Amino acid sequence: MSLSFIFYLVINTLVVLAIAPLFVSIIKKVKAWTQGRRGPSLFQTYFNLAKLVKKETIYSAHSSWIMRITPIVSIAAILVAALFVPLVFVPEPVGGIGNIILLLYLLALAKFFMAVAGLDAGSSFGGMGSSREMSISAIIEPTTIIVFAALAFVFKTLNVFAMFTASVASGTASTPTLILLAISLFIILIVETSRIPVDNPETHLELTMIHEGMILEQSGPNLALMELSSAVKLTLLMALLINLIVPFGLSTTLTLGALVVAIVLFVLKGTILAGIIGLFESSMAKMRFFRLPSLFIMAFFFSTLIIIIEVFI
Amino acid sequence: MIDNAFIESVIRVLFAVVIITAAYIISTRNLITLVSAYAFQSLTLVCMALALYFHEGTPVLLAIAFITFISKVLIIPYFITNIQERIRIKRDIEFHFLSPTTSLLLSMAVILFIYLALSNILTGTAARDSLFFFGAVIGISLMLMGMMVTFSRKRAITKVLGYLSMENGVLLFGMFVTELPFIIEFLIVIDLIILVMLTTILSVGLDSTLEEYHDRLHRFHLVEDTEDGS
Repeated sequence: MSLSFIFYLVINTLVVLAIAPLFVSIIKKVKAWTQGRRGPSLFQTYFNLAKLVKKETIYSAHSSWIMRITPIVSIAAILVAALFVPLVFVPEPVGGIGNIILLLYLLALAKFFMAVAGLDAGSSFGGMGSSREMSISAIIEPTTIIVFAALAFVFKTLNVFAMFTASVASGTASTPTLILLAISLFIILIVETSRIPVDNPETHLELTMIHEGMILEQSGPNLALMELSSAVKLTLLMALLINLIVPFGLSTTLTLGALVVAIVLFVLKGTILAGIIGLFESSMAKMRFFRLPSLFIMAFFFSTLIIIIEVFI
Repeated sequence: MIDNAFIESVIRVLFAVVIITAAYIISTRNLITLVSAYAFQSLTLVCMALALYFHEGTPVLLAIAFITFISKVLIIPYFITNIQERIRIKRDIEFHFLSPTTSLLLSMAVILFIYLALSNILTGTAARDSLFFFGAVIGISLMLMGMMVTFSRKRAITKVLGYLSMENGVLLFGMFVTELPFIIEFLIVIDLIILVMLTTILSVGLDSTLEEYHDRLHRFHLVEDTEDGS
């Protein structure tokens, strides 16, 4: 393992941890603006996390070890997955690291533990959230796989780092397939992070909650870890979309100047994408549960089209 | 003059946009955005005709772009928006035969089928490897996707939009594959405008399904304010 790869590991983790809460706040801010409110400060998510860390963790008397390890497994899986997506600096892939299928499974692992923890405390809300999350996962998973397969077809590789290298080398989104891919990735982003047409991240109503239902029993530092991991997941999916579709500014050499430029550009592009997500969420209502497939099928349609185009034309 | 490779990549991007709007027209339930999507699709065709003009230099393409812009981006969406304001329906949630999800899956199969069929027909000819082959595939697919909209929607107004998007497919196919005589394109556009005007006039029944519409025609003899009477 080369020195630059170790640097990459450190830099990427630090950047993703530092930026993730900011993007969550930006989305909240944009949504507040569209509703005519002033909205919370951009640093509110950091304050919330800091507050939660200081609090005491309380476990339900009925809960088992699952409840105790879930936050750690979740944040660990998501942070490792975040290493697959270069935010500011694309390293040389080392020793076959970076298979895109592993990235999918790491996300699935975190999701699985979250669902099991939802069931663990035995509260009916948690169970309901887990059941919904798993139903949605069962139908979104084939779509996600097709989208990632389309990615692999477009860039002719299964290695995530090779994809990013190719994307940076080509500079801009030159092929039209990337437009279709952007839409598919956007839908995946919305679904995987439990955003509005699928789930409402701000509500604690029994009827609507999916993601919140599962982490209802978490408290204190554990809750902070869960929230941080969902923020990091949002950032990593956003980075996947941004850095594959509009890769300019992404640094391939490890110099201080290039890194600073890359970080600034990434935050800028991320802010724009977060704004788009906020507007998208404000523009529509939550979908009825059984209508969700018609959202997924869009992503499925476009990525299958990409595969058809890439294979035949 | 602008670089040819650049124009080709622009046209490819426009193809992607056309496919996106077609998928949107098939699956959306919101009538207002449906009309905007149609107008946007037509605008894409205008851009495509302009790009082709720079590619080939045939002045007919300029005329097609102009007519399409006037009729399909301005006039027809204006009429349909007018109808919508009058009949006060915002969404179309009823479907015959096919749900939007199935339609999208089917149109995927349709695109693949048309691709295979056309590539068999055109094997060995010069057209096989060019942009025009791609244009033909997208054009016919758009036509069939429009047809799917026409028969899977229940409301008359969405049926009309499906028909319009079908015509966009014909235009796309004509632009890329054959030298569609300009006079025919012109006549088609006039046909469309008359069709939309007729639906405007008949809009008394357009908030209903076709079956209900027949009942109303008998009951109200096309008087305008009959909506609340039903």
